[in-house]
Amino acid sequence: MASGRRGSPARRRRVGVKGRGFLFLYLPDFAYHVPGTPEEVVALLARSPGARVIAGGTDLLVKMKQGLVAPPALVSLKRLDGLKRIAPEPGGLFIGARVTLNELINSDLIRGKYASIAGAAAQMANNQVRHTGTLGGNLANAVPSADLPPILIALGARAVVLGPDGERRFPLEELFTGPGRTRLAEGEILTGVTVPEQETTGSTYLKFGLRRSGALAVVGVAVAVTMEGPVVRQARIVLGAVAPVPMRARAAEETVRGREFDRSLAEEAGVAAAAESRPISDIRGSAEYRRDLVRVFTRRALERAVRDGHV
Amino acid sequence: MEDRQGRSRHLVTLVVNGDEYTLAVKANTLLVNVLRDMLDLTGTKRGCELGDCGSCTVLLDGRPVNSCLVLAVEADGHEVTTIEGVAQNDRLDRIQEAFIENAAIQCGYCTPGMILSAKALLTRNPHPTEAEVRQAIAGNLCRCTGYVNIVKAVLAAAENS
Amino acid sequence: MPEEFDVIGRAKPKIDGRAKATGQARYCGDLKFPNMLVGKILTSPYAHARILSIDTSEAEKLPGVKAVITHRDVPDLKYGISPARWDENIFCIDKVRFVGDKVAAVAAVDEETVYQALKLIRVEYEELPAVLDPLTSMDEGMPQIHEQFPRNINTEIHQHFGDVEKAFAEAYHVRTDRFVGQRTYQSPIEPHSAIAIWADGKLTVYSSTQSPHYFQYYLAREFGLPMGDVRVIKPFVGGGFGGKLEPTGLEFAGAVLSRLTGRPVKMFYDRHEMFAHNRGRHRQYMEITSGVDKDGRILGVHANFIMDGGAYTSLGVASAYYAGAMLPLTYGFENFKFDMYRVYTNLPACGAQRGHGAPQPRYALECHLDMVAGDLGMDPIELRLRNARRPDTVTPNDFQVNSCELTACLEKARELSRWDEKKGHLPPGRGIGVAVGSFVSGAGYPIYRTDLPHAAAVIRVNEDGTSATLYTGAVDIGQGSDTVLCQMAAQAMGFTYENMKIVSADTETAPHDFGAYASRQTLMSGWAVKRAGEEVKAQLLDMAAAMLGVAADTLDCRMGVVFDRATGEGKLDFAQAARAFFVKHGPLVGKGSYAPPKLGGTFKGAAVGTSPAYSFATQVSEVEIDAETGEIKVAEVWDVHDCGTVINPALLSAQVHGALYMGMGESVWEQVVFDDKGRILNGNLGEYRLPTALDMPKITSALVHSEVPEPAGPWGVKEVGEGATIPTMGCYANAIYDAMGIRLDSLPLSYEKVWRALKEKREAASVN
Repeated sequence: MASGRRGSPARRRRVGVKGRGFLFLYLPDFAYHVPGTPEEVVALLARSPGARVIAGGTDLLVKMKQGLVAPPALVSLKRLDGLKRIAPEPGGLFIGARVTLNELINSDLIRGKYASIAGAAAQMANNQVRHTGTLGGNLANAVPSADLPPILIALGARAVVLGPDGERRFPLEELFTGPGRTRLAEGEILTGVTVPEQETTGSTYLKFGLRRSGALAVVGVAVAVTMEGPVVRQARIVLGAVAPVPMRARAAEETVRGREFDRSLAEEAGVAAAAESRPISDIRGSAEYRRDLVRVFTRRALERAVRDGHV
Repeated sequence: MEDRQGRSRHLVTLVVNGDEYTLAVKANTLLVNVLRDMLDLTGTKRGCELGDCGSCTVLLDGRPVNSCLVLAVEADGHEVTTIEGVAQNDRLDRIQEAFIENAAIQCGYCTPGMILSAKALLTRNPHPTEAEVRQAIAGNLCRCTGYVNIVKAVLAAAENS
Repeated sequence: MPEEFDVIGRAKPKIDGRAKATGQARYCGDLKFPNMLVGKILTSPYAHARILSIDTSEAEKLPGVKAVITHRDVPDLKYGISPARWDENIFCIDKVRFVGDKVAAVAAVDEETVYQALKLIRVEYEELPAVLDPLTSMDEGMPQIHEQFPRNINTEIHQHFGDVEKAFAEAYHVRTDRFVGQRTYQSPIEPHSAIAIWADGKLTVYSSTQSPHYFQYYLAREFGLPMGDVRVIKPFVGGGFGGKLEPTGLEFAGAVLSRLTGRPVKMFYDRHEMFAHNRGRHRQYMEITSGVDKDGRILGVHANFIMDGGAYTSLGVASAYYAGAMLPLTYGFENFKFDMYRVYTNLPACGAQRGHGAPQPRYALECHLDMVAGDLGMDPIELRLRNARRPDTVTPNDFQVNSCELTACLEKARELSRWDEKKGHLPPGRGIGVAVGSFVSGAGYPIYRTDLPHAAAVIRVNEDGTSATLYTGAVDIGQGSDTVLCQMAAQAMGFTYENMKIVSADTETAPHDFGAYASRQTLMSGWAVKRAGEEVKAQLLDMAAAMLGVAADTLDCRMGVVFDRATGEGKLDFAQAARAFFVKHGPLVGKGSYAPPKLGGTFKGAAVGTSPAYSFATQVSEVEIDAETGEIKVAEVWDVHDCGTVINPALLSAQVHGALYMGMGESVWEQVVFDDKGRILNGNLGEYRLPTALDMPKITSALVHSEVPEPAGPWGVKEVGEGATIPTMGCYANAIYDAMGIRLDSLPLSYEKVWRALKEKREAASVN
């Protein structure tokens, strides 16, 4: 019965209760509803505590199989055709929450107007997941390394949310409150985003992953610049995977505003962005490494956005 | 409807390889389980349960998806193509022939998923570049081939069309 | 110039290609039997803990549950694939030794019920301090993982050939370097699964196995059954790579569940459980010292290693010996000292993974030699050419090497890669590197001590001679042995591959074979098949001679036609002669078996590393490094192999691609990581990164053949299945050094490590 002289003292533990301590890759059962309108979805959510919506399911079902969430009910969005729209609306473009990643990549409207959004989607996951996973899912799951939030925030996107009190819109940046947490209240769903008309002259999203497919971002940098000749009128720089939420690199943005663009300005911005980023160390990379990657990719993203000159 | 233990069952209709099936499933029944366990179409494989390996790839309305992450109830009313539906009667698809001719099959476990990803690619893009082929199969992991002969086979199949 | 053959040497399509391409091929998890139950194993959440109590009563009450078992319900005979170290139980009895250790099992009507039942089993543990660091596991006062193994030492090796101290004393330059490998896992795409059917006192097990024989042997032993009452059948297998060579809890627990319920029971591991079961590559801590003369000739090598064995032995004794034993194969040095400790830790057990213990030491030695070359101002290929083993030599550890074309491999790799043009002349950020390797073509001795032949085969020609069936215990796990052995059978008989059938890897219907490991089958199973085919041909020609009224030695048979040897004129169809034989004599059957000659020395551990023949390879890689991020892009790899006569060129190059792919993954991307409680953090295919189709370099595979075919292999064959995994890690590390002047002394060669080394290099330069 002796424990070693080193190591922690012996402890009694009871296990086998509710699967704590085990990892069973198994999907638990749940109630399943298929409402016909967004309002019905909201009403269902309001009266089913713990219920979650399911769109593509590529994040949600993974989390359920890993035992990280166990919603008693899932509310399917599959009848909500309105959430599949990519359509112009006054002042901008509406992209519905159910639009899949491949639909983003293949949409003529998006490739024409906001190619960098398609470019970001193309760097995500793999082909099978891109056919299933949705814009709404990528935003609502709020993983800090998500690839769509940075570019959408850089382009000034607004979240469109439907709740019991009707629809509200707010800057997408405000949606995220922490790793896996959003501002969505009980009974609210994200129905899509709107991307406004803008004077951006160039934008891009660069992602650094540990292999060329199926890799979470170790860092992600999105940039939208408005150039006036050689001068940067303004820039929006958004970092992913280096803070609890996608973050605006405001010091970096300040660094470039109103100045003539060249490589050393881009490098300065990179240094500023690195300093304001707040990465952690995890199995994909150390904080120190990530911070330096922010420097490098901020510079590269600015250079590309300026050079390529398309939104 | 509910069974005697109060667990809900849902009726789903799937068209699988051109044949219509109506089945009673639970909400947590995955498409991969319907195919393998209820319809005995075991060509679709389970490898990782989390959508990372692609061995469960099927075509859902022609689009390659990981069937281990699709609920049967979500697939209700849709068309599914599995590896068993690729050959036409006893005539192999040119992609299947190309895999055999180019030694693109070793253990064969990734093969069904690979062939379906390739089929979806060539349907949409009959003359892909090598980079496009690699992009299309990047979600299908293979531990045996290094993908060398698989890429060769898909390009050969494209050329033979 | 290799001889031209009709059937071997051809890129015949795989005999199972169509089945696999159409989804018809059934793997163990695809099989169904009437009245079948599903079962799974409950595992430990703790790395090291005493089991105080197990309460299965709630689980047993769950509707649909048919049996719940613990150590009380199964034999307590300790087992293990290494007979020298039987240290596992079907279920842990007094304590668990790693997160994932086996505690109980459930059989129920469906998967969902099984999972729910597992969650209802209540186990009370007393957590014990865990040993998670192999470097301190032997220290005084550390918790003992197995009582019979003091200081947690599982295997201790001290070998000394010649006199290394003297060699170092006389050397012009002596150098020591240290390297660390990493834990990796085979991760075949097909999970482990087994179906046990215990009926009438006899046990049948279908399993995703690399060796029905070893499974049969150890199942029979565990349950006290004669081997004749245990049948093990291999369905199609989706890759093994060494991890499916030993019976697991799935076979043992499934057998008991089947006996108790009277029903077939299908057991399986999901991906995370596979990582926990493991039996993958050991992490090795390696110190290499060499002494060279002023011309770069290696005079002696001292390899001083520690390997992390995890909680059980698995195949680890052999891995420990292989780690050192393979080093002298490639170079002609006569003085060699090898010290090794394989220690226990409270982590998943490590076993044999493609290359079996050799790849990490090879990485260490090849990096070390590049540094020696640098010290001497010598080109790395030049250094290796000066030391490359020659054919018909004996290593200091008593391995007889017949054919060896390593020199030719080096020269060809140098030529194909345009090494001389590139070395020292590539643009900044690009580099080129070389490494060599060698591997056994089958192990000289089986895993347990026995006088059984290593392989046996029977060929039966059907009654009208239009087909022939090969019966072999050899195991096709995807490498193509069914195809290759059918080619060999047809070649030996003078028949056609297209009319061959095969019954393989079923202990009841196919003769004994040890199975797929140590790259043994083309050579060893091949001998048995060749002999069986020749026996068929001899009987067939006797029959033909009688029918034609000529002497048998005037005839031969090729591609299904019996012909006159002098004129080449076809006289009779194989089928006609075969049918006549059956009518007159009954079944036309040939049999063959193979046992290697007595190999190796008489010192302790001499058996490990012995082989009838050895493959040799050189790899060159060209890399491009992103200096700012550390990202490694491998542009191109050249693999030049001396693997003897080629039976099927397409399958052979496919094996080179695959072996190189695994070496590549382990070089840059793969590592199993744990938290400080011994729990796997990345037991899934998202965070354990296998390279994807987008990550691959251009691969050029080339062969070199010896003038005289390898005498120890049928038609001169040697191995290729593992040889190309071995040089890759060292090759990449050397290329990275060439590109950026940084020496990465631990695996994997990750982007962050490159970034950090470059940073440290810059900082050191700015200080000076």
